[in-house]
Amino acid sequence: MAVATEPSRSRLANGVEVVHLEMAEAPVVCLDFWCKAGSRLEEPEESGLAHFLEHMVFKGSRSLAPGEFDHRVESLGGSSNAATGFDDVHFHVLIPPEGASEALELLLELVLEPRLGDEDFQMERQVVLEELNQSEDQPEEVAFQTLLALACPNHSYGRAILGERSQLEGHQPAAMASFHSRTYQPGNISVALAGPLGQLDLVERIEAGPLAGLATTAATPPPAALALVAGRQQLELPRLEAARILMAWQLPCAHDIDGVMGGDLITTLLAEGRRSRLVTRLREELRLVESIDLDLTVLEAGSLALLEAVCAPAHVAAVEAEIGAIWRQLCDELPGVAELQRAQRLVANGHRFSLESAASVAGLMGSNCLWGRPLPLDAPLLAIEQWTVDRLQEEIVPLLDPERAFTLVALPA
Amino acid sequence: MNLERFHLPGGCPVWVQRRSGPDLISAKLLIPGGSAADPPGSRGVTQLLAGVLTRGCGPLSGDQLAELVEGRGAGLRCETSEDALIVSLKCASSDSEALLPLLLTLVQTPWLQPDQVTLERDLNLQALQRQREDPFQLAHDQLRHQLYGQGPYGHDPLGVEGELGRLGPGDLAARLPDLGLQGAVLVICGQPPGALKEWLTPLGQPQGPWKTFAPHQNPGPGGEGGERLALVPDETEQLVLMLGASTVPLGAPDALALRLLHCHLGIGMSSRLFVALREEHGLAYDVGVHAPARRGAAPFVFHLSSSADRAGEATTRLLDEWQRLLEEPLTAAELSLAVAKFRGQEALGRQTCSQIADRHALLLSHGLDWDYADGALAKSRQLVPADLLAAARRWLARPALSLCGPATALAAAERSWHRHHLSDPPALATR
Repeated sequence: MAVATEPSRSRLANGVEVVHLEMAEAPVVCLDFWCKAGSRLEEPEESGLAHFLEHMVFKGSRSLAPGEFDHRVESLGGSSNAATGFDDVHFHVLIPPEGASEALELLLELVLEPRLGDEDFQMERQVVLEELNQSEDQPEEVAFQTLLALACPNHSYGRAILGERSQLEGHQPAAMASFHSRTYQPGNISVALAGPLGQLDLVERIEAGPLAGLATTAATPPPAALALVAGRQQLELPRLEAARILMAWQLPCAHDIDGVMGGDLITTLLAEGRRSRLVTRLREELRLVESIDLDLTVLEAGSLALLEAVCAPAHVAAVEAEIGAIWRQLCDELPGVAELQRAQRLVANGHRFSLESAASVAGLMGSNCLWGRPLPLDAPLLAIEQWTVDRLQEEIVPLLDPERAFTLVALPA
Repeated sequence: MNLERFHLPGGCPVWVQRRSGPDLISAKLLIPGGSAADPPGSRGVTQLLAGVLTRGCGPLSGDQLAELVEGRGAGLRCETSEDALIVSLKCASSDSEALLPLLLTLVQTPWLQPDQVTLERDLNLQALQRQREDPFQLAHDQLRHQLYGQGPYGHDPLGVEGELGRLGPGDLAARLPDLGLQGAVLVICGQPPGALKEWLTPLGQPQGPWKTFAPHQNPGPGGEGGERLALVPDETEQLVLMLGASTVPLGAPDALALRLLHCHLGIGMSSRLFVALREEHGLAYDVGVHAPARRGAAPFVFHLSSSADRAGEATTRLLDEWQRLLEEPLTAAELSLAVAKFRGQEALGRQTCSQIADRHALLLSHGLDWDYADGALAKSRQLVPADLLAAARRWLARPALSLCGPATALAAAERSWHRHHLSDPPALATR
């Protein structure tokens, strides 16, 4: 049967965007609040504040005591979470439909008027520092963070979302309140709803609620374009058991849907599945790597293709050489039509499969809506079909030149 | 609910749940007998076998098989848990005809080619080595040893390096005929085409049908009391703490009470451990309960990671929370919140075809009914706080503590342990 793919959209008078899609069979409703308040919006002295604020939001609001939101939502059988990215932050609740109206009111209250109590702030700072400690105990995460810092030295994408420890230790509630009032503005906000919405009137509730009361302001300026720096560096990391070759390339930004799909196709052709070029050559034939992955991270100022090869330290040079050879072969010979079709089907099915759950549908709609891309859900499927082997070779393959990448080799210390 | 059930010629039960939504299917073939059934000296053989199943079967070489699956944009995975070997297929409905026949082909006529066995084995060995980068994995491996010793649940499904390194095609060929001896079940969810039965036949010419039957509710492996306290030194920022006990199978009478305790302690931001350790004391970012379903004595584990300089305090507070389980019944409000979370988790676990197929295949593979979870939901409303307390006292009285972190933190945590009631030998514990 056909699945509805055209979300319904509306806009409040102050500019807040609302998007929703009925998914009658889903067991839960997803309420997803999106805001252009990622780490990119931090001023130099605000390192880590966007993510720290995401934590503090759950510590209560003007009328909700700390912990009250979680307790009430979870008593209704719901669960909530949040994620801070470079570009944006989102807060979402998954909940059986009976509890959705109440949860929506609670969610909006929570994100729009955080309490930022001083004692809670000091306590939550400890939690954020523990989160930082935990990530620093994973050498692979340390390596990735180093790669981004080296590849994007003059851009916010090069700075850790968790923030600098020294700055985190000094932040105060007033500075966070000022970050909140500067970024959580109507022109920066969208709300996405997906699931068995039926007769819940959630959109009407949003129109009559506190979101509609926010004063209109100028929207946040678009992000400064990314200009990834090429280079190569090697470092030794304690507690690493195998070497890592990490590479970052810049690919088309999120707004260029066609370019993003081209990036998705080439990374799939190269590294998804046993028949992809890098996996076949490096893992199956030469047996030089334990694994090789190439993922596309879609971002507003310029997407990143991130490669990770895991191998014995002695194989690093051979693996790097082979990656270069595989790239040159793509430049010299057109990929096969069947090879492109394989990538097209993998990418298209990945997208179709992601439309099963209310959470991923709401996430997709909310982020597109936030960034001014009012697309039907099947837009990526149409874009995928537009790609040919000639265009891929001409437009996307050159972007993956190893000379244009930043390469970081991390070796066990 | 649109549920259909039939048997394959060799006896494997098939359950089909039709469901509207995107045009896709998710199929799970669950074969009881996972890493817990690895023969002594061959730990890792079941996972290795699972990995090699997709490297050639019936008329298809490994490359041809991968080409067929990936060319259709589908996903086909074989993996091993402690309790089962699991084959998962997810594809567009229109590709069912081409891909469903692979399920039986994989288990009946895999090639087990020596060269491919060597490759897969070396990849597993490297994966085992790489796991040591993660302090959570180190603490977890150690706790597993404390709870299960050399028993069937005592090793990672990937195996044990010294034994895995010696395995070859002969070991896999010897293990292969075991598949189905403890039963098997196939669950398909989504929008399969009408002629489903025809496509659940293997490719090529296997010798007769795959003989198996619907799994029974057999008792699974038990626990073995080992060291109560064990330490792994590692140069990390944080100390990782895992405190756990081995408990009961999913279908056991006390499993529901323990599940509600799990919801109370570890599900959501209003959970007891989250509030007591993170919200009130800022001791951790990540704190929770790990309590997977098992056919045998399932682990019930508190986990926490806290900076090394607060190791003593973190240890004491975590032990206090465990002690509290043994001493204080939940309040009526806490119990009703736990029941609400249990219901919510059930709804959240039914969002995708894969989730639905997974959950039902798991229940059926334990010899439980298709709608066992609905029954458990209904029963959960009848439990009272005293039932949970009694279950905790039966199964959680003597937990083991596993620690991974820097030496100073280990020493501080060890002092906290020895000062705490929970570490007392049994004769003194009743004072």
